[in-house]
Amino acid sequence: MAVPGHRLDRMFNPKTVVVIGDKGPMYMWCQGNLPFKANGGNLYSVQIDEKEIPGIEALGITNYRSLADIPEPIDYAVVAVPRHVSPYVLKDLVAVSAAGAGFFTSGFAETGEDLGIKLQEQLTSMAREASFNLVGPNCMGLYLPKAGVRFSGDVPVATDGKIGFLSQSGTHGIMFSLVAGAHGLHLSRCASFGNAIVLDVSDYLEYLALDDETEVIGMYVEGVKNGRKFFDTLRMASQRKPVVVWKGGQTEAGARATMSHTGSLAAPQAVWDGMMRQCGAITTNSLDETIDVVQLLLRSKLPKGPNMALLAMTGGQSVSITDAFAKAGLRVPRLSEQSYRELGEFFNIVGGSYQNPLDMAGTIQGSPEMLDRILRILDADPNIDGMAMELSAMFGTRQWKARPDSLDKMLDTLRDHMERSPRPFQVVMHPAHEETYVASIKQKFWERGIPLLPSFDRAAAASARAVSWATR
Amino acid sequence: MTFESVLAQARAEKRTLLSEVEAKEVLREAGVPATATTLATTREQAQGQAEAMGYPVVLKVVSPGIAHKSDVGGVKLNLLNRDAVGAAFDEIMANARRAEPNASILGVSVQQMAKQGTEVIIGMTTDPQFGPVMMFGLGGIMVEVLKDVSFRLVPLSDRDAGQMIDEIKGRPVLSGVRGQPPADIDALKKAILQVSQFVENHPEVRELDLNPVFAYPDGAIAVDARIVVSEA
Repeated sequence: MAVPGHRLDRMFNPKTVVVIGDKGPMYMWCQGNLPFKANGGNLYSVQIDEKEIPGIEALGITNYRSLADIPEPIDYAVVAVPRHVSPYVLKDLVAVSAAGAGFFTSGFAETGEDLGIKLQEQLTSMAREASFNLVGPNCMGLYLPKAGVRFSGDVPVATDGKIGFLSQSGTHGIMFSLVAGAHGLHLSRCASFGNAIVLDVSDYLEYLALDDETEVIGMYVEGVKNGRKFFDTLRMASQRKPVVVWKGGQTEAGARATMSHTGSLAAPQAVWDGMMRQCGAITTNSLDETIDVVQLLLRSKLPKGPNMALLAMTGGQSVSITDAFAKAGLRVPRLSEQSYRELGEFFNIVGGSYQNPLDMAGTIQGSPEMLDRILRILDADPNIDGMAMELSAMFGTRQWKARPDSLDKMLDTLRDHMERSPRPFQVVMHPAHEETYVASIKQKFWERGIPLLPSFDRAAAASARAVSWATR
Repeated sequence: MTFESVLAQARAEKRTLLSEVEAKEVLREAGVPATATTLATTREQAQGQAEAMGYPVVLKVVSPGIAHKSDVGGVKLNLLNRDAVGAAFDEIMANARRAEPNASILGVSVQQMAKQGTEVIIGMTTDPQFGPVMMFGLGGIMVEVLKDVSFRLVPLSDRDAGQMIDEIKGRPVLSGVRGQPPADIDALKKAILQVSQFVENHPEVRELDLNPVFAYPDGAIAVDARIVVSEA
């Protein structure tokens, strides 16, 4: 869905895309955008270097020597020209009324040298004067998985994306897209916006907040140009959908690094933290934390409170999962008397326990029916807001390899529980000594919509963030 | 005196720092609880103001050239009657003149002496990116050494003010420790919101410090106030 009338709408929903200045041997921008052409979009190249043109045409892309020759209105352009040429390209883009462009070109203010700073000032004033939607420069630009517009040949083309992602860093934008894809989660729209000389994070954020296809927004940001606008937009966006903000440069040393990376000045971290809470945003400190909470928000239901039932397979893990969740600020309360009565009817307490946490492998004995019985009792318990369940790759792998249907049946039981239950649920499985095998079965979780986290600490941190968002 | 007239006066004198008397006056006018504070230029005036205010009172030297008033013998606490106020006035003026012969001494401020409460700080700074930011913390070393403070951008909602108080690490102190009664959290919240409103109404205010504010089981009051305004 589009956001009609928004200044970024054409750029975010392109029919015609032009790659300007792509080069061999990789032709990364032409290659990356081939899916857009395969999807029926108009993909063109503009290149005047005769050596490069045959390689571009070999990809089936029509090359023009001038932007003015492109037969359709341009909705988005990727600009990959040397920095001193970039003002001329911008002038041409404005002249043909292109809807927007991502400037991959770098070497501007982030270099700290006079020429770069001057060129950036020139681009800024030209783009501002023309109200031109300039993405970047010093960025990877837009990634529109549904349209097939990509900032890397590795990121997925997908029509089911629900995550909007914004990144001041190209690497983090690409890596988030790839890691989300490896979790079976796709992006709706993504912008890597680098130096943000015209469009800032707030402009993109506003679009994603209004975009119906985007259910969760994530961002990596090092600094903002207009603090007040960011505050207002983030507050508005957070009222509509969860916004996860991963801030780069939280430490003094890190803040020095942001200065040379994107030229961002950092507000004191405590002021930033206060603002995040004021806006109702979810804050994270890393890619993993960002992925984890996004996964929970998309796959699990929202918690009504912090009270967890924790299900582990063995005694030691029941202690560890409990420590992890309690340290993250969640509660692990006693169950209701009714739950204890019902569990007491069949629970094997020799080498097991059902106080909460539950130590239950000896009771389940590999039986999905027994697991289902426990889940139903806990799901009816009024003291519980959500559940996290450990699966043991260490003990389970031998059997799952021998009888793959045993894993399928158990996962079907968990899927049925999730469909039935109004409460959040997640599986935590450390890969132990079976990394390759565990990687091979993740798809089984994703296709059933079951959130899977790789450690108690990560699962607990993601749960705590979901709780704080849901009860904000 | 309204904020506008205080501001005009400060700008006419090319000052950005308001005097304590001015700061408290504009805050009190805006509904922020602060101890009554007036400027006296003569012994008799000081006595008259103390009578009107009610005892006990505090006298402090008022001079742009004297930053640390106690160090020069420029502060007298817990004055209980007319004679004590008169003697304190003379002594402060003499001490100040002796210590800083070249400083211009405008007089003495006469202030209600508030009874000791739990010390908190309510402040505002202007962030270059985010504009006016409110700060809250416990007084003394909690702020200075431990940096145990919370921030919110102006304007604040009721919920923001409550969270600011709740999220400092020293929060249990406000619930009463070592036999101290709990502080009036609603009064602190209200004071934070009033300052937020004051700052919103007067964008010329660049910095503001109420340090300390005494929090009581019922109510809270700022006993010192500092306001910096922007240059004209």
